[in-house]
Amino acid sequence: MHLTQIPTLFAQMTTPDDLVREAARLQRNYEFLSYGLTVAWAILVIYVLFMVSRGRKLKREIASLRAMLEDRQKS
Amino acid sequence: MKDKILYLLGVIAILILARDINVIARLPNEAQQGAIFKIIFFHVPVAITAMTAAAVALVASVLFLITRNFRYDALAVAVTEVGLAFLAANLVTGSIWGRIIWGQWWAWDARLTSALVCWILYAAYLMLRRAVEEPTQRATFAAVWSIFSFIDVPIVIFSIKWWRTQHPQPVFWGGGSFPPDWLAIFLWNMLAMALLAIVMTVVRVRQEDAQRELDSLRRTAHAM
Repeated sequence: MHLTQIPTLFAQMTTPDDLVREAARLQRNYEFLSYGLTVAWAILVIYVLFMVSRGRKLKREIASLRAMLEDRQKS
Repeated sequence: MKDKILYLLGVIAILILARDINVIARLPNEAQQGAIFKIIFFHVPVAITAMTAAAVALVASVLFLITRNFRYDALAVAVTEVGLAFLAANLVTGSIWGRIIWGQWWAWDARLTSALVCWILYAAYLMLRRAVEEPTQRATFAAVWSIFSFIDVPIVIFSIKWWRTQHPQPVFWGGGSFPPDWLAIFLWNMLAMALLAIVMTVVRVRQEDAQRELDSLRRTAHAM
């Protein structure tokens, strides 16, 4: 087979089924790209939310302990 | 770092990332891999950020062992936790890319396995910290573990050079190249990830300071 025949072979392969398969492949590619970005963002967002909740808890505990210590010193 | 500057950096990072997602969506598909190739704009910056975080944790751990200053211990734990989140994002995006390109979610090749081991080692670092009560002992054990864990980082980075792996060679460091406009987007994303990691680390360091204050208040309350 000569190399010059390859484009002809490709032309023969471009049937409606091939086009449908290619469209499905592209669609799947986009779907997985969106999954990837969504999951990666979700991991970072969940971590930030976790950090925010920990920060709030720490502030609350420090405030309550300080109040308790002040009460004890007064009494 | 002042609160306003910190939040401003965070907002800048998020704006850059939001803008880049829009720009990346409009880029043409890569000739062989199609749209999934665009995951590289997220996958590689999070990996570089995670590896940098591991290097910072190493330096902070060594400095803690030398100086016994708890600020370094706080920095080490903060940067390790942030790096772990970024490495998790890296592993997940890589796995999703592999499902399309390789037809499988995971391959036990040197790069993927060493990256997973790296994640487990640094997760163990955080677990170890929870297991030890006494602060000085906790910081010392954790610093030693962090230094030990860093051995895996060069293996993760160079595994694709040292061994034949299923993971592709890097674009910039393996003879490939990006079109200039793609490179610009990649570098912007890299900057945004770095800013995000810095903001998260500073917030986390402050929480460690607050935790130390809380421990000290508890000791005072206990003594009274």
